[in-house]
Amino acid sequence: MESKGYLWTRRSVGLVSLILVVATVIYGLWITPPDVIQGNLVRLIYVHPPVAWVAYLAYGVTSIASVLYLWKRTRNIKWDLLAASSAEVGVIFTGLTLITGSIWGRPAWGVWWTWDARLTTTALLFVLYLGYLALRRVPADNHRRATRSAIAGLVAFVDVPIVHQSVVWWRTLHQSATVLNSSLSLKIHGVMAWTLLLGFIAFTFVYVWMLMHRYEIATIEQEALDAELEQLLEERQHESEIELAEDVLGDAQVDQPSKVY
Amino acid sequence: MTTNAPNGNNGLNRPSSGSSLPKQRGLPSKTKVRRAWAAVGVIVLAIGFLLYKGLGNSLVYFRTASEAVREKAQLGTSVFRLEGVVVPGTIHDTKAGVDFAVKSKNVSVEVHDTANPPQLFQPNIPVVLVGHFSGNIFLSDQIMVKHSANYVAAHPDRVATVNGKKL
Repeated sequence: MESKGYLWTRRSVGLVSLILVVATVIYGLWITPPDVIQGNLVRLIYVHPPVAWVAYLAYGVTSIASVLYLWKRTRNIKWDLLAASSAEVGVIFTGLTLITGSIWGRPAWGVWWTWDARLTTTALLFVLYLGYLALRRVPADNHRRATRSAIAGLVAFVDVPIVHQSVVWWRTLHQSATVLNSSLSLKIHGVMAWTLLLGFIAFTFVYVWMLMHRYEIATIEQEALDAELEQLLEERQHESEIELAEDVLGDAQVDQPSKVY
Repeated sequence: MTTNAPNGNNGLNRPSSGSSLPKQRGLPSKTKVRRAWAAVGVIVLAIGFLLYKGLGNSLVYFRTASEAVREKAQLGTSVFRLEGVVVPGTIHDTKAGVDFAVKSKNVSVEVHDTANPPQLFQPNIPVVLVGHFSGNIFLSDQIMVKHSANYVAAHPDRVATVNGKKL
């Protein structure tokens, strides 16, 4: 796992992530102009939609990995570990989406929170994937855990398109999509649009970097658990052999006729 | 790597520390299993709560000013959310809050608000108000600004203002 190539790739992704995030911060805070209505509040847009996108991406990866685990031809515990790792990162980014949205909402809307369809379905998404992670903590053998987690991950993913389309299907306080709208017409232009794109790329790199780390840890954990199991089995086998040897020896002593002097 | 080993553990928990085996080995204790299922139960309850709140609030999040006027008899004095664009020239500060009018599809509703408006509150901006009708006036105790999906750079020559201040 920890080959030189992998290590180099991971560190490169980390370095690129750092550079891109710093560039996003510089552009977002100092180079982009204020919005005609929102003023400086607009600067949060360079973070909020990108982290929401990363959450979608993370759950997408979880779903694909779950399908690959459920499909017998591609079944491998690595897909399960990848699904779990991506879901964990996704939960972090969903949390960040809710927090940054709330920070923007207080001065812009006038409230920290409201029960509109976008906010409610996003909170639901957060809790659904917390449930996915909680389900993984329920002790079970690898295959059973992976199978039920994969099913849970796929069920939870149903909420992702609902979250995205909620502003179209229902009336909401939350605005409609600025970039990924039905007409694919950008509602942001110039340096503001480029900075938003930079934010999307930067946080996608951060996601990849976090996923690589988390997946590596998950793999090491799995290997440690498997090694532990093998050691336990060896110990048990050794104990059984000793017990068997003692039994055989005992039987031999019983069967052997006593000598009379 | 063993793929389907019944190790009784999950994939993302902590690895055993050091070279020695952990104290709890083999099958997980009943307490651990119960605790894990309890966590799942709490999550299920949270999902139920969110669905309940979502179905109760999100499906008809607001009524537009024209809809509210049309359904005024049915609405009576019940509390609901009213949406409309703030009519320019109607904003008057009061001791308690602000008076103004909102409009949708050429139907306007007079609003008497008793809460502090958010910082983006201004003429021609869509707002969602929480309150009820009292006669022909909508008594509101919360103003929420409904921002559009458009982001436009402020230009010095266009004299863009927020709350009367030049950007």
